[in-house]
Amino acid sequence: MSADEFDPDIERLFARAPHMPDAALFTARLEQKLQKGSRVRFLALTLAGLIGGVVAVRETMSVSLDMGSRDSVVAGAALGNGIQSASLNTQAAVQSGLDQLGLAHLELGSMGGMQLFWIATGALIAVAAAGVMKLSQDV
Amino acid sequence: MTQPLGDRHDVELAALAAAGGRREFGELVRRHSSAVRGLLRRMGAQPSLADDIAQDAFIQAFERCAEFRGEGTFAGWVKRIAARLYIKRVAKEARYVAAIDNEDAAPAPDHAGRVDLDEALNTLSEPERLCISLCHGAGMAHPEIAAALNLPLGTVKSHVKRGLDKLRARLQPPAGQSLGSAQHVG
Repeated sequence: MSADEFDPDIERLFARAPHMPDAALFTARLEQKLQKGSRVRFLALTLAGLIGGVVAVRETMSVSLDMGSRDSVVAGAALGNGIQSASLNTQAAVQSGLDQLGLAHLELGSMGGMQLFWIATGALIAVAAAGVMKLSQDV
Repeated sequence: MTQPLGDRHDVELAALAAAGGRREFGELVRRHSSAVRGLLRRMGAQPSLADDIAQDAFIQAFERCAEFRGEGTFAGWVKRIAARLYIKRVAKEARYVAAIDNEDAAPAPDHAGRVDLDEALNTLSEPERLCISLCHGAGMAHPEIAAALNLPLGTVKSHVKRGLDKLRARLQPPAGQSLGSAQHVG
């Protein structure tokens, strides 16, 4: 840069920040905005997580149902059997828990894939609603 | 024992802010908000607009804190973000085009015998003021300014040169006193 385009004295004057009497107010306003922004982001992430969770549960249900009935592909069948046996184990564990709570008549094994899907969806919605309520209390 | 925020270097605070540290970022805002707001006002923004843009610039800086590597100063980095936001806003409102057409509307300088940069900047035309502020205030290079303002490089250089000449004339201290040592009231 030539002398015509640069002046160290003027550069120095520019480097001096003017005094702003409302600097504290400016900072407080900015902190408020940042906080609001992070809440909105948290809400958006919760919502995205909820939607993703619902889709994932739905996909898992349809995979476990479809694969059990397919036997043409050996690997697919093995995976299907694995998922089914894991699902049965979970059901047995949950069922024994229900027995202890005196809810033995509630047979999980008899529920269809769609029923389990809606139960899982309901649980996810309840978790999301609890999150939103907590967030609104913070606000 | 942890070091108080006030004793920490900008680069360190920026690194902590990049990891989500809002308190650390608040300290950076406290240190540099006046400089950023001042630059925007010097570029020609009205105080309320300058404050809005400065807020947006700091929010952007917080979101992009990880990009700040400490190669320049933190204040300089935020100033450049703010300057670009202001240019974008002005271009959207087509104010800059109007300002270029109205280049000779600057008031004539007078010699008050004191150094007041803000007052002196008011004597420049808007393009000169903008180019000078971007160059000396935001530390942007001429090609960068030309690209940001969508102006030919030669035009930017002549705005800077003419603006500097006017500022020098306006800020000229009384005989025997240097510009750097003169009283600053801006």
